[in-house]
Amino acid sequence: MRGAAFDELLGRPVSMRALVLLRVLAGPAVLLHLQPFLSDALDGRIYRDAFYEPYASWYPELPDAVYVALLGLAVVAAVAMSLGFLTRLATATTFAIVTYNLFLSTTHFHNNRAYLVIVLALLAVAPCGRELSLDAWIRRRRGRPALDTRAPAWPLWLLRFECAAIYGASGLSKLLDPDWFGGTVTWQRVVRAKEDLYAWHLPDWAVSILTNRSFHTGAAKLIVLTELSIAVGLWSRRTRYAAVWVAVVFHLSIEASASVQVFSYLGIAVLVIWAVPSTRDRVLRIDPAAAGQRRLGALVRRLDWLARFRIEPAPPGSRLEVVDRDGTTFRGRGAVAFALSRLPLTAWFALPALVLPPVSLERKGVDHADDYLDDGSLPRATDPAGSVPARPN
Amino acid sequence: MSTSVRIVARRVVVLAVVLLQLGLVARGYWADHKEFAFQMFPESSTWRADVVRVTADGRRVSIELPWSGYRWDELVRDRGLRYPSTRHHADAGLDNQLAFLRGALDWVASNTPRDRETRYLEARVTSWHNDDPARVEVFRSPVREGPG
Repeated sequence: MRGAAFDELLGRPVSMRALVLLRVLAGPAVLLHLQPFLSDALDGRIYRDAFYEPYASWYPELPDAVYVALLGLAVVAAVAMSLGFLTRLATATTFAIVTYNLFLSTTHFHNNRAYLVIVLALLAVAPCGRELSLDAWIRRRRGRPALDTRAPAWPLWLLRFECAAIYGASGLSKLLDPDWFGGTVTWQRVVRAKEDLYAWHLPDWAVSILTNRSFHTGAAKLIVLTELSIAVGLWSRRTRYAAVWVAVVFHLSIEASASVQVFSYLGIAVLVIWAVPSTRDRVLRIDPAAAGQRRLGALVRRLDWLARFRIEPAPPGSRLEVVDRDGTTFRGRGAVAFALSRLPLTAWFALPALVLPPVSLERKGVDHADDYLDDGSLPRATDPAGSVPARPN
Repeated sequence: MSTSVRIVARRVVVLAVVLLQLGLVARGYWADHKEFAFQMFPESSTWRADVVRVTADGRRVSIELPWSGYRWDELVRDRGLRYPSTRHHADAGLDNQLAFLRGALDWVASNTPRDRETRYLEARVTSWHNDDPARVEVFRSPVREGPG
């Protein structure tokens, strides 16, 4: 029975939209990743002109010109992958070349490159060229019917596992290392980078705190807890948005303090896979006569890269309204905050607004949350059960 | 492909990837090179090394001096090994860093054919694992054929 449920989970057709968006975003990551190799090639050098260490003696190595041509092909393939032109072939080619290059030498290996290979592998096996692609556009132009944008869920589940595993593995290794968990590692790193802190024009008191040993005793535990809570929190619908929000902060902090190549960009881009894999199951109702609502409608149309909303006209004079997939209705400012919290580009800014009184009251079924805000009186109607409806995110 | 074969194949692929990933994470706790183990910023350890060429007549010549048309900083450009005499952070941990240093000694020893005087390369390494006391080790490349 459990095996059947597992098979159903892996085989259930779901929207590939999140992987489609990730495919578009992965192209620039590949180009950034290839940049140092291409830069060397333009200077007439390749990896084997200096110290390198093959993983295996049997691993095939190409003549210089062919190797450089392969890097060039990877650039073309990465661009085609992002544009969605011959998507399957382009993605598989990008994956193959990036992976081949990674395993040419132990010196090529970095965690961000490993993550990129994982992402490309799963994009290559998922049919993620049927939307937001030149392939789909060409198909439409030829008058052929659109292909089903849903596919078995297993590549999405695997990528979710890998994403969570990366945060989990990193957090666990720090948790198990007494030097890390006790704060020694971060303290020493910061103390050695003290000059950089001054270069960033941090005030003396901030430098003093950041280089204080006791501060790191607590800070290290917070870092470990953050990584582990992201790894776990992503799996629950209750905590997923919080985990994504924290993960974005986490990646931006790393980017500001360390050189991690494409890791920050890729790490944030991959977070889109945690969106529920269904599309157009939320309704945004706008009054076309109201300029503000019309503007929001246009914004949502442009930024709804995960295709989460259907936009419908409302009768003149109606308030802005968003109906979530479980039927919860948001109106007015709550609707604005909710809509923006479901768009990839604005989610990070809008998510905190969802815990503010007007939105959270609406979420609980209070139908007059805006009244509460506007006149300062208590809401007049509440959900008799007072319960939070079970809501997919 | 029939439906049942597809279901089994899907199950096998997913379980294989999950087990492989967990295995690689576990391997990261003992391997020098921690591929796919995702141990980020693992240590604050630092290291430095005096690397010399030991010639057939017993001289010990620093690799900071060019020899036979070679320069260390052109032969070894990556993984923080370019200027070994300067104290560096071991980005991916000390074991990983020193494994790369050993690999670099071996590579230079076997990829400098114009050099007809060096018998082997030697690195006297001082390393500091996090805040542990300094530890000194000596690594040598294999003895090169020809010189001596």
